[in-house]
Amino acid sequence: MGGTLGVVLGGAVLSPGAARRAERWLSAGKVSDLMPDTPTAVMLRVARQDGYAQVVERRTVFLVRTGDSAVTAIDSTCTHLGCRVSWNADAKELKCPCHGGRYDSSGAVKGGPPPAPLATFDTKISDGDVLVRM
Amino acid sequence: MLRPVFDWLDSRTGFRAGLSHLLDEPLPAGVGWWFVTGSILLFLLGVQLLTGVILTMFYVPAPDHAHASVVYIMDTLPFGRILRGLHFFGASFIVVAAIIHMLRVVAFGSYKKPREVTWLTGVVLLLVIMAFALSGYLLPWDQKAYWATTVTINVARSGPFGEFVAGLMRGGDSLGALTLLRWYSAHVFLLPACLIVFAVSHVYLMRRHGISGPVEPQDGPSLPFHPYQSARDTLAMALVFAALVGAAAMFPAPLDPVADPADASYVPRPEWYFLSLFQLLKYFPGPFEPVATVGVPGLVVGWLLALPFIDRTPGRRLRDRPMVAVVFAVLGIGVATLTSLGLRDSPSHSRPAWTPLARAGSVFVNDARCAGCHRDGGAGGPISELRSTHDPEWVRAHVRDPEILVPGSRKPPAGAMTAAQGYAVLSYMRRVWAKTGPMPQVSAGEQAAAVVLGRHCATCHMVDGEGASSAPDLSTVGRTRDAMWLKEWITDPSAVDPIASMPAFGEVLTDAEMDDVVAHLAGRR
Repeated sequence: MGGTLGVVLGGAVLSPGAARRAERWLSAGKVSDLMPDTPTAVMLRVARQDGYAQVVERRTVFLVRTGDSAVTAIDSTCTHLGCRVSWNADAKELKCPCHGGRYDSSGAVKGGPPPAPLATFDTKISDGDVLVRM
Repeated sequence: MLRPVFDWLDSRTGFRAGLSHLLDEPLPAGVGWWFVTGSILLFLLGVQLLTGVILTMFYVPAPDHAHASVVYIMDTLPFGRILRGLHFFGASFIVVAAIIHMLRVVAFGSYKKPREVTWLTGVVLLLVIMAFALSGYLLPWDQKAYWATTVTINVARSGPFGEFVAGLMRGGDSLGALTLLRWYSAHVFLLPACLIVFAVSHVYLMRRHGISGPVEPQDGPSLPFHPYQSARDTLAMALVFAALVGAAAMFPAPLDPVADPADASYVPRPEWYFLSLFQLLKYFPGPFEPVATVGVPGLVVGWLLALPFIDRTPGRRLRDRPMVAVVFAVLGIGVATLTSLGLRDSPSHSRPAWTPLARAGSVFVNDARCAGCHRDGGAGGPISELRSTHDPEWVRAHVRDPEILVPGSRKPPAGAMTAAQGYAVLSYMRRVWAKTGPMPQVSAGEQAAAVVLGRHCATCHMVDGEGASSAPDLSTVGRTRDAMWLKEWITDPSAVDPIASMPAFGEVLTDAEMDDVVAHLAGRR
């Protein structure tokens, strides 16, 4: 009896925390609008299930053109404590406003406390559109 | 290794003495299987408490979200279906277990001196259990919840201080968010507190006076509760629990479509344990209604409360207490008869079927106007994943004018969908929310007729319970009108009746559409 209740009740309590969201390819704009080695911020709308509710989450990613048909999508979440980084065109770096983390245009750490480079997403180009998987 | 820890704990709390006091209760000789009913009830209440606590982690007590959160528990949450099943069927199991326990106490004369107060706490516990059941089924905020609670509150109005009591139950001037919060609060805070107080008192009094034991005292040594009776209790609990898990695993706990106060077609029916009272109402119409709402239930509760003071004979054998036996037999037969009559009158609640209007709605939602936002990465989520968090009027207004914030605050823009299309898309969405299942294929003519109904007719006419109601209901129009009349009328109503207010559709519909919709309407009998 205890085992059955444990599986049902424990399963219901623990499993939502272990859930992983399904990934989708989202259109993020035209590849021709991107400049080489300069991150361009785009906002993507990601529909996801938030418990019983369906929410449309807005996520900012930086798109960097790395070749004629190659684009990198960099997450804007600082790997230190999760603040949002922004592109500083003068210093040519992605800077975190919270604790001064600095990254170059490919997301690699240039200075400050971040322990790892910014995360990247898979990208592909289809008919001139950049698609990002998230 | 843990022994020193327990020794220390025992020296500070005395828990070992308390435990042995609980387990070593001496039982009179001859205590057998009939005495497991109370333990089963206590065990089921514990299961209800545990499953209830876990359900509150996922349930939202607000009209906009309650139903969606229950759908999430049923369809998405791992183990959620069985979790809600345990709680839902557990309620029925408890009602049955409580009645069996009460009948056992009556049959064995266990309510007699000195156990009168034990009996009284038991009667209060029975009422608390009924209040749990009543407050619980408003919470999913489905059609059954809404309408059964509407009936319950109206029943309360016919009693003494009726308007005051009804206002107390409603929380506001109408059934809504305040009602739901109030019943939720009662269900998860107030009633559990009452239950614990009275259950502890009941068990304490049971221990104070000891178990009543068999009707005729038997010779033999007194045995401790553990392990002799506890083994019987555990086995009985395991059997009942297996049956409960089986029910929860095999049958999904029912959930109607979301509550719709505008839906006049719904026939409310309470859970089976209130069906006898519901049925009783039918026999006392008008001014006699209080007899069924207050009189009969009041007499029954009064009889239960007074029982140990009415029946003061010392003998415990049932054949020495003919009046008690007859009253309980009459009560039992009455409740069983009313319940079976009520069950016979109850319509079966199934998921809404695919109607022509819903079919038309499925065509319209694939329109580029909807798909522009309702797609992956769009401003709204994909249609198939939407949940019902808005009322029907909002949905219809949104279909016609997606940017509108308040229904009715402005006219739909040029080129917007028709009012009929609003009804059709709402009808389709109701099937999506209810997970009706795949739409069966129909002929091309039927499909074309459905689209005409959903684009034009439903603006004024009701079809299968959906659509506007400013013109005659078309659901069974074929019974009174034949195809020839229908075609003439739809082509130009004023040619048939000079004062007809319906616009002519002869120029609006193609010849094929006209033939299809006429054939469809003539076939509605």
